[in-house]
Formats: sequence, structure tokens, C-alpha cells
Amino acid sequence: MVGIFIQPGAFAITPHKVSVCILLKIYAPPGLRAVPYPFISIAQHNRLGLFLLALTKSCDDIVEPKLDEFIHQFRVAGGFSSHWYINHLTSSLSSLLSPDDLFNFFAEMRGILAGPDSGVVEDDQLMLDLNSNLGIFLRRCVLAFNLLSFEGVCHLLTNIEIYRKEAPSSCPPYEQPCLDDSSSNLETCSEYENMDLENFVYEKVSEEIEARKEASEKVPFHLHAPKTLLDLVDDIDVPADLVSKHSEKGRQAGSYGDPTNNMLPDTDPSSGTFLRTNWQVQGYLQEQADTIEKDGSSVSLNGFEIILQQLQKMAPELHRVHFLRYLNSQSHDDYIAALENLHCYFDYSAGTEGFDFVPPVSSNSYGKYEIALLCLGMMQFHFGHPKLALEVLTEAVRVSQQQSNDTCLAYTLAAISNLLFENGISSTSKMLGLSYSPLTSVGITLSVQQQLFVLLRGSLKRAESLKLKRLVASNHLAMAKFDLTHVQRPLLSFGPKAFMKLRTCPVDVCKEIRLSYHLISDFGSEGSAMTVDGAFSTAWLKNLQKPMGSLVLSLESGSSNSSNVFQFCAQPTSIPGSVLQLLGSSYLLRATAWELYGSAPLSRMNALVHATCFADASSSSDAALAYVKLIQHLAVFKGYRGAFSALKIAEEKFLSVSKSQILLCKLQLLHDCALHRGQLKLAQQVCDELRVLASPVTGVDMQLKTEAGLRHARTLLAASQFREAASVAHSLFCMCYGYNLQVENASVLLLLAEIHKKSGNAVVGLPYALASLSFCQSFNLDLLKASATLTLAELWLSLGSSHATRALNLIHGAFPMILGHGGLELCSRAYIIEAKCYLSDPNFNVSENYEVVIDSLRQASDELQLLEYHEMAAEAFYLMAMVYDKLGQLEKREEAAASFKKHILALNNPQDKDD
Amino acid sequence: MSSKESCRSELRIAIRQLNDRCLCSASKWAAEQLTGIEQDPAKFTPSNTRFQRGSSSIQRRYRTKDITTTPVSGVSYVTTPVMVEDDLVDGDFYLLAKSYFDCREYKRAAHVLRDQTGRKSLFLRCYALYMAGEKRKEEEMIELEGPLGKSDAINQELVSLERELSTLRKNGTIDPFGLYLYGLVLKQKGSESLSRTVLEESVNNYPWNWNAWSELQSLCTTIDILNSLNLNNHWMKDFFLASAYQELRMHNESLAKYQYLQGIFGYSNYIQAQVAKAQYSLREFDQVEAIFEELLRNDPYRVDDMDMYSNVLYAKESASALSHLAHRVFMTDKYRPESCCIIGNYYSLKGMHEKSVVYFRRALKLNKNYLSAWTLMGHEFVEMKNTPAAVDAYRRAVDIDPCDYRAWYGLGQAYEMMGMPFYALHYFRKSVFLQPNDSRLWIAMGQCYETEQLRMLDDAIKCYKRAADCNDGEAIALHQLAKLHSDLGRLDEAAFYYKKDLERMEDEDREGPNMVEALVYLATYCRGQKRDEEAEVYCTRLLDYTGPERETAKSLLRGMGMESTQSGHPGMDIEHLPP
Repeated sequence: MVGIFIQPGAFAITPHKVSVCILLKIYAPPGLRAVPYPFISIAQHNRLGLFLLALTKSCDDIVEPKLDEFIHQFRVAGGFSSHWYINHLTSSLSSLLSPDDLFNFFAEMRGILAGPDSGVVEDDQLMLDLNSNLGIFLRRCVLAFNLLSFEGVCHLLTNIEIYRKEAPSSCPPYEQPCLDDSSSNLETCSEYENMDLENFVYEKVSEEIEARKEASEKVPFHLHAPKTLLDLVDDIDVPADLVSKHSEKGRQAGSYGDPTNNMLPDTDPSSGTFLRTNWQVQGYLQEQADTIEKDGSSVSLNGFEIILQQLQKMAPELHRVHFLRYLNSQSHDDYIAALENLHCYFDYSAGTEGFDFVPPVSSNSYGKYEIALLCLGMMQFHFGHPKLALEVLTEAVRVSQQQSNDTCLAYTLAAISNLLFENGISSTSKMLGLSYSPLTSVGITLSVQQQLFVLLRGSLKRAESLKLKRLVASNHLAMAKFDLTHVQRPLLSFGPKAFMKLRTCPVDVCKEIRLSYHLISDFGSEGSAMTVDGAFSTAWLKNLQKPMGSLVLSLESGSSNSSNVFQFCAQPTSIPGSVLQLLGSSYLLRATAWELYGSAPLSRMNALVHATCFADASSSSDAALAYVKLIQHLAVFKGYRGAFSALKIAEEKFLSVSKSQILLCKLQLLHDCALHRGQLKLAQQVCDELRVLASPVTGVDMQLKTEAGLRHARTLLAASQFREAASVAHSLFCMCYGYNLQVENASVLLLLAEIHKKSGNAVVGLPYALASLSFCQSFNLDLLKASATLTLAELWLSLGSSHATRALNLIHGAFPMILGHGGLELCSRAYIIEAKCYLSDPNFNVSENYEVVIDSLRQASDELQLLEYHEMAAEAFYLMAMVYDKLGQLEKREEAAASFKKHILALNNPQDKDD
Repeated sequence: MSSKESCRSELRIAIRQLNDRCLCSASKWAAEQLTGIEQDPAKFTPSNTRFQRGSSSIQRRYRTKDITTTPVSGVSYVTTPVMVEDDLVDGDFYLLAKSYFDCREYKRAAHVLRDQTGRKSLFLRCYALYMAGEKRKEEEMIELEGPLGKSDAINQELVSLERELSTLRKNGTIDPFGLYLYGLVLKQKGSESLSRTVLEESVNNYPWNWNAWSELQSLCTTIDILNSLNLNNHWMKDFFLASAYQELRMHNESLAKYQYLQGIFGYSNYIQAQVAKAQYSLREFDQVEAIFEELLRNDPYRVDDMDMYSNVLYAKESASALSHLAHRVFMTDKYRPESCCIIGNYYSLKGMHEKSVVYFRRALKLNKNYLSAWTLMGHEFVEMKNTPAAVDAYRRAVDIDPCDYRAWYGLGQAYEMMGMPFYALHYFRKSVFLQPNDSRLWIAMGQCYETEQLRMLDDAIKCYKRAADCNDGEAIALHQLAKLHSDLGRLDEAAFYYKKDLERMEDEDREGPNMVEALVYLATYCRGQKRDEEAEVYCTRLLDYTGPERETAKSLLRGMGMESTQSGHPGMDIEHLPP
């Protein structure tokens, strides 16, 4: 606020903090030695210390627990007979009756702090180090109390009274203190209890823990947390099972409303609810933001909104709430609310609020509104308004250049290139050319791809010089994506034309992916210097998340049977989630790349790696994508039965995201299956459904639109409506050409060739097939090339038997690729065509070499039956019957003919089988 | 409409009753209206009408038409305040409590009345409790200021009051005053619809409590809610409707109501101030100024609404009048937010923006939700080139009242200043949505579209068109329209707008570069269209000016002269044949 600026981060003393102080006094009573009275063992003593530490660090909620909740936590967490402590706590609380009691209490609290000059500490004297976490906490409490006015002390007194009175009534039935139910984590637990604590001076509890962890794991988990957090947070975390429980709960919440709701204390302030400390609240918000970005639908819109409302009421100057609101409404597709909240947040905060916000003293006080533009642009992008988004992002580029905010510029450029990549924008020169690009100043207009390239390079360069590691990595990934589908041409083309190889370069793709992979080693060696860009990154790149090392110490009373809170979290990895996510997407990109290049095993392997190693870290849509890839692989290589059962599993797993990836995959499978079985009506229906999924805005969801168009044409083709099919394919080609979707063009051309082949115009089909071939060549689409070769062979063959040898040669050339990487359909097609070639070759003597033909046909028919591809299976059996007929093997001929008849009947009377 | 006499007697009784219940502001309001009723000059000596003389002049000046139509007479009419007064048993305690209350010792007052059962005592006890809670709340607001802003202190008495009053209401033993208090409590607790019903009940039973009306009015946030209220016909309802219309920005309707009410309450300062408010919203600054001059003459120590007067003076740039006003309110009561605001305005007019911010801040310290101070402070920050602060101030204004189009407009301007025109458009859009008839807003939006970063000229043209349609006072829109069209090569449209602009300038007797520009364009345009005679008219007009345009005109004329001497232009002759 401008008018009345309040220093953020002030620390208020509350009843809850008073009770923590009371426990602290038990923990480190002044003047006592060794293990103080109530503790039985050192381990127990440590346990209390950890509990207190955790209490001051956790950011799982925004309000402090009430006394009953607190006692409950304590019991659950304690693991030792806690009656004495609770009695002591309540009696101490109730002895605070007058302001003077409070004064005395805090004066005593000062006694348990070691003096600043206590260099010589006796061996086993218990003292809180001034600079330890608990020491700092205590000092802040004492200081906050000393700063209180008399009115403040009175308020504290009333609040303590309320706090105390609320306790007994609503206490949930306590579980038995549960030392024993932590079976899974017993090991770490016992390890901890054996901890060597001979030297009992409480110098930095945290340091001990950290050192221990370091010894076991080499890299402490939270080294990558934002620095402020790091200072305050230690390496205690929830046991893994708790985390999963948490997330599970979150997922349920999506459909039933938020259960945390019920636990929310009354909003009535008279019931004595207090916010936690500033950074605890911020940490909570941060965590929520991460969850939303990872999987937005796991947070319930209204449930979270209520929490935010409460928070805003209690802390009107905490503007980050608006940002969270924005995220929340965005993830639930509420455009208007998202827009409002975004504007509201940046109006208040000027882009300079957050963990790491230092009130502008010397730095420019003009705010960082360019971040607002960046966010707005990404929001418009998210909601499918690419034109608007581009306008906004262009403005963001301009403003960040004016404010010389290079970090923002780098992110903005990345965002723009992402936008250009995802959306077909036919001409950007107007806006982009004006503001950014070193080349346009020379007066050269660039094509969209070239601009994309320039932008990516610009972003990469900036990110590298600013050491924005995540951005560098994701830019490399984007680069790889770019290289995958674009032929690079020189940007400037004056003078004599240089030699150009018009091909994509797979080596470049691999190189870029490898470069992005370096990120992981950076994080391994680097430690916590990685925090500067943390504050920005959350919202900036959709796939980049903030390094959020903070802890969920799930302390709610509901999780009664949860195991011991004091497990060290045996996290399998010390890499921040965002980095893992990036790595995961690099694997996905590899899978995609190999899919395009035509190596099925490599593609499957990479998808598998993602699904097994990165499933937890990656965003739900990425994870779904990996599943989709695996399912598609299954369908192509193992037939539909397996694919559908796998799909069912995936659908259950990704309930909340079923809209996008999984649904798409399901429709694709259904369509393929229907086409093969000859259920054309169903196929058309599925195809229409697919088309509806795409946004109506031009230029958005291009992939989906192409897919729908291709499938539409294919359906028409199956229905022998050649003219319509051709016209659909033709307009599809025009669209792909307009939006520079070259890879898609290759398959559209192939489809056109296919259409002409089926309609009997082999001569017209040939050029299409050749064009498709050349596209495949320049984009290294080997598998597609093989299938184009097959089509070409068929076309030659249909020109007459004189071309049979040529066709045969073509097929034999493609065979290694097809047999190595092709799916069932492609292989069997190749077999059939090969057989056809042999049969139509006048020099081929059936009776001598019939084994060659029959073998191929049998193989083909087996595979086709697996696919239930009736049309082609019928063809195979027909050919088989012909061969047998020529050989005079009547019995076998009849058998083949019967199979032929079966398939033809099935094709002509498509009945919906149950599946 | 009821007669003046009946209004007068109703009000007289009501004031006493309101006073008994310590509803001071309501009784103040009622008393103001009471003296606002026009006296019968025959019955009273001039000294009685002393206070009323001044206002007649303004009425003469501005009451355009006397509205005599009466509304449909009410079905259920409460004529005189009928209240069952308590018997005198608990009278003594009541008197003590009332004295305590008047001395602002609320808790003591409530304590004295703890066992009293009379309705009046009961109300006073509850009201005292409520006031005590309010007082404590105010104190706590400051005491409890948390690290992240003020935590929301609430009135601690609300819960018990609600419990008690709702049982009373269920028993049917609650009186209209109790209902008013109940409505107040409910409103603070956030149950608005129930509160509305309760307040409705209260005003239907006892219409003279202006406090209840104004609480009810603050709950009518949309016209639909207002229309759904079921209110008995009473002249107080007209006051209510007028004020509600004003809040809903239906200024003309509100003005009509007030003018109607002036038929009875001809000398009411309140009504005059409200009329001024409406006129201010309609941007009739001269009238507003006259009204306020009159008001100040009759009521020299008035502070209410004077901030609006200062805004008018600011807009008219009369610094000395503003300084007089500032001095006057400062001497009357310096710790009123209005006073601070007026002083802020004065400094702003003097160009001393830092000082003015200090006073706006003080106003906000006195009343955190003082809307116009936030907006005005935003303006000052804009002047001081401190845009982030300006944005913050405007945003606070918008959060207090999302319908404040000035603040939205300010936000847009601030962002435009920072070179973010596209971002600013969002805010301009908001402001024109709220005030679609204000040409300045449309022009600002058009200019935003026109900036060199955006160059979305077609959209700019749309905005200027809207501005031109709303009677653009400064005639920027027409000129811009003409210019944009000519930039875009749409010559005919450009000529059309230049011509319109020219006509307008002629009407208003304005000269200037725009005039020259329009003449030059029209001359060349007509020349290009071979309408030489018209072109000649424009050219000759241009000859009156100095500068390069004069030369252009001369050369144009020369060209036309040569053509006509060659007389090789039959087409022209045909064109100019008399019909």
C-alpha cells in the first residue's frame, strides 16, 4: 500500500506461540543438565525438539491450530506418554491471568537462551543457541512481546483465555500414542533414535540433521528452496505415505468439494483464529500454486476460494491471494474471474511481491508491470486467444526492453515462441517484426518459422547469460521440437545462394535434448544459488515450476492414523520437482521424436521411462501423454484388446484430466477400430466427436484439427466416397500448408495418394505418393517413408503387371524398416503387396515358389485377424485361396475361402461387438 | 402528496421520539427537513422565514418546471407517528441511561437498563450495547493492525444482540426501532437479504427513521432489488427512492424525485445538496456552484458534501474560491475527511502535489473507505509521475466501489503512461462500460487504440464515433475521426467529418488550427472531386488566415482560375446548372 506502508514479515505473538514457548521451556529448562526431568531418553528429548521445529516451519495451513488441535497433534506426534506435558501446558496457560504474568513468563523465556557471550558452555548444559532456528523463534517471540503496547498485552490475555476455553469441548477422541504404527518407516525412525547426541549442546539442531542427511544422501533435499525459505525450513518432511494421502485427498476434493473445508476454523475472529507467520502463509500459498499448476483440477474451486477469502479477510495487504485466485479460476476455466484477479494482483503488487520481495530502496521503484503483461499473455494463451496473447506479449517485450528487465524478456520470448509453436499464426510480422528482432531493422521480413527461430535463440541467449537454468533447459527442449519439424534455412539470403540441405537434422535434435538434460547435473553440483529466478518462474512457463522445497508437515487432526510425523523423508531424489518435470518432458520429447523418425522400440522405451520414473514429478497432462503413447504403441503392435484394457487403467488413473489426452486417445482408438471392423457410422460419429474437441478459433488446436480432418477423409475413403474424401484431404492440405505443418503434410499427401489409388486413378496418385516421399525424406520420417514406398509400389503395380518387378524392388527396399519398426497393419500390408507383386509378375511361377507367397499371406492374415481388419484380411484369404486353387490343393482352398467369406460377411454386416 | 401541515406535525413528533431513542442523526435529519418545509408567509413574521429567504432565488433560477403531479395515493398510510410510550415505572432509570448515552458512556447506559422491560428502555439498552461494541471495534481496528494489514475487527456485541432481537421478533414484541437495530446487526453479520426484510418491516411501520431508510438503501445494490421491495406509500419513501436512484446512477430519475419533493420541502438544505450531487454527476458545474453558494450562505458551517463543491471549484480552476472554502471548513472542523479532501484539492490546483497527497492521506486515515480521496490521490500520484502508487490508489478505490468509473479510467491512464496501452485497454473498457455516455472516456480509449504501439485505428474510429455520439464537449472526437479517416485513405468519410467539425466550430465560434486544417482538407477534397465552387468557398475562407495554408489556398485558387479561363470543362457547367 502506498499510503500506509506496513513492513511485511512482522511477527505477532499469539496464544499458539505462547504454548509453543511453554513447550520450549520444557524442552530446554534453564539451569538443568543432561536429560531434563520428564524425558526418559535422549531420543525422546530430540523428538520434542523436532516437533517444535516442525511446528514453526510447517506451511500446510494458513491459520494456527487451536489448543485442542495442537494437543492432538502433540499426542500423535509425541510417541511418549504425554499427559504430563499436556497438563503442564494447560496449567501454564491457565496461570497466565494478568498482564504481569505474561511479563514474567517472557522474562523467564529469555533465561533459556544462551547469552551471546556464552562461549564457554559447560559440557552438558542445555541452552538454546541464539542463532538456531528455535532460538530465533524464541527471540522473535520475546521481541514481539516486548514491542506490544499495553492494549496488545490485554488482547493477548483475552485471546489466551479464549484459546484455553475452547480446548476441551471439541476434542476429537485421541488415538493411542502411536509409536508402533509406523512400520514402514521404522528403519529411519530407529536410525534417528540411535543418533549420536553425546555432545548435548544444542548448537543448531538443524545443522546436525542436515549433516546426517548429507552423510546418507550426499545432497540435502532442500538446498534448492528459495533462500528465505531455506533459512527457515529444515529437512523434516512428511513421510511419503502421508504425501500420497494428501494428494489423494486433493483429488477427491475435485469432485466432492474440499474436505479441508470442514476443518477450516470458523471465520469468526472472535473464536481466536490467527494467521501463521508471514512466510508460513506464503509457503502455503506457494504450495497451493504448485499443486494448481501441476494438476489444476485437483484443487476444488470453491473450497480453495473460501480459504483465500478467509485469508484476505485476515490479511488484506497480502496481495498474493489475488494471484492464487487467478490461478484457481484459470485452472477451472473461469475466464472473467481470472482476468479480474490477475489485474487486481498486479495493480496492487506491481509485480514485486513475493517471498523474495525486498521493499524497493535503491532499485527502481517503477514496479515490474512487464510481468503482468507476461502473465496476461500466458493467460490469454491458456484460454485460447492467441491473437490477444500475441498482442499482450509483444507489449511485454517492449516494456521489458524499456525497463531493461532481461529476465522477463527471456521468459517472454520463450512464451511467444511457445505460442507460435502451439498455434498456427499465419502472419506475425505486423506486431512482432516491429518490436523485436534484430533483422527486421534491416528491412527483411521473416517467415513465421524464421521468427520463431530468432525468438528461441534470443530467449536462449538471454537465459544463458542470466543463468536461468530451467529456462535454458526448456529452451533447449523447444529448440529440439523446432528442429524436429522444421528445415533450417539461412535467415539472410542475399548474394549467391549457399548450398542448402533441405532436411531436418536429427543430430541437432539429439544435441538439444542432451543439452537440456545437463540441467540435472547443474542441480546436483550447484546448491542453492538457484533461487533468484524462483519467484518468477512459477507463473511464467507453464511447464516450469518453482523450486518448492518447502514441507508439508501434515499436521491436521484428521490424519489420525497417519504414521509418525518424525520420519525423515526418505525422498528418492534430491532434485527439485520442477527440474524433474523438465527432465520428464525431455523424455517425452524423445519419445515423440523417435515416433516421428520411426523407431517404435526407442519411442516406447522413452515413454516407459517417463511413465515409471517421472510419473510423480510431472504434471498430470505430461503423465497422461506418456500413457497415451504407450497405449497407442500397444494398439499398433498388439491389437486393440490390449490397448483398450490399458486405456481403462489410464482412464481410472487420470480421472480429472480425462478431457484432453486420454479422451483423445480413446477416440483415436475407437475410430481406428471402427474403421477396421467396417463400422463406418460409428467411425463417422467418433470422428465428429473428435472434431468438436478442437477450439473453434482459427489457428488454435491445429494438431487436433489436422487429426480430425485426416480421420474424416479416411472414413470417407473407407465408405468409397472418393470425391468427397479427396476434397476433404485437399482442403486439409491447404490448411497444413498455410500453417506450415510440414510433417502433417507428408501424411496428408500420402492419404491423397491412397485415395487416388483406391479410386483407380493410379496415374494421379503417383505424384502425390512421390511428393509425400520427398517430404518424408526431408523430415527424416523413416517409417512414414516406408509406408509411402508401399503405396508407391501398389500404384506401380496397378499400372500393369509390367511394373511388378519395380514394385517388388521398392517393397524389398522398405522391408527392413517395416519389419523392424512397423506395426501390425503396416507389416501385413507389406506382405500382401509383396504377394500380389509376385502373383502378377509374369515371370513368377506359382507352383514352384508358392511357399514364398503363402508364407507372407499367412503371416499377414494372422496379424490382420488380431487387428480385426476385415477388409485386408479378406484380401489376404482371397489371395491365399487363389494360390491354393492354382496349386490344386482344394481342401486348403476351401478353408481359405471360408475365412474369406467370414471376413467379407463381417465387413458387410458390421455389428457392434461388446467392447 | 400530504399537506405541508401534516408533514410538519408528523416530523415534530417523530423528532421527539427519535431523540428519546438517541437516534441522533435520524433526528437531525428529520429536524432539517422540518425546517425545510416552506412556511406560510402570511402567518409568520419575517424573522421566522429568515433562514429561508435565500434559497428562493436559486429556486427561481433553476426550478424549470413546477411539478404538481401527485403520486398514486397510498393504500396504507401511516399519518402520525403513533407509538405506545412506556409507562413511567422505569422512567427514572431510563432518564439516567439516556444521560449516560448522551455522554457516550454506552456500557454504563446499558448496565443501568439491564432489568428494564419497557420497549423504549429495551431499545436503548440494545442500542447502547451496539454503540459500545462499535466504539470498541474502532479502537481495536487500530490496536490489532497486523503485519499484513488491518485485521478485521468486529463488533463483539453482535452475537448476543442478534440472539436477543431475533427472539423478540419471533415473539412479536419488537417495535420498529428494534427492527431497525436488528437490521443493522444483520447487515453487519452479512445476512443481507434478511436484513433487507427486517429493515423493510421497520420503515413500513415507522417511516420517519431516516437511518433505517439509508441502511436499506445501502442494501439496494441493483435496480432489481430496489424494485422488489414492498414499501408502503409515504412521503419518506420518495426521499428514499431519490437517494437510491442516485446511488444507482439514475441521476435524472433522482433529480425528478427531488424536484418533486421540493414542492413541500422547499427550503431543505439536504435536498439542495442532493440535487447538487445529481447535477454534479450530470456535469452541470455551473448549477452546482450556484447551489452550493446558496447553501453556504444559509448554512455557513456546513461541511457535509463540501468536498463535491471543492471538486467543482477545482474543475473551474477558481483557486481563490477554493482557498476560501478550504479556510472555512478548516476553521469549522479540520478533522473531517471532507475538510482534508478540500485542502488536498486546493494544493492540487496550486500544483503542489506532495502537499496535496499529505492531505488526501489524512482524509483516508480518518475514513479508510473514503472513495473520492483514493481516486484524487491517484490523480496526484499521476501528476507526480509515481505511477505504481497511482495504480495502487486507484485500485483501492475500485475495490471499495467497483462502479467508480473515474478510478478505472485513472488506472487505464496510468498504464498508458507506462507504455502499456494494450494492458490499459482493459481498464478503459471497464470505465466506458460503467459510464457509456461520457465522451471523455471514449476519447481516452480511442487515443489508447491510436498509440503508435497499437495502431488499431479501426477500433479507435469506433471509440471516437461513440464519443461524437455522446455530445463531446471539447470536440476532439470529430476532428480525430476526420483525421483518422483521411489517414486511412477514406476520403469521403474524412470530408464528412471535417465538414461536421467545421460546422460545429462555426456554431461555437471557435477558431484555431483545427479550423485551418479542416478548411485545407475540404478545399483540396472538393477540388479533387471537381466541385470547384465549393472549393473556392473554402479557399477564400482560408485567405483570412496567415501562414503556409494561405499560400496553399492561393495556389489552389490559381489552379481553378486557370481551368475556368480555359473553360474546357463542360462537366463543371453541367454540374452547376440550376435545377
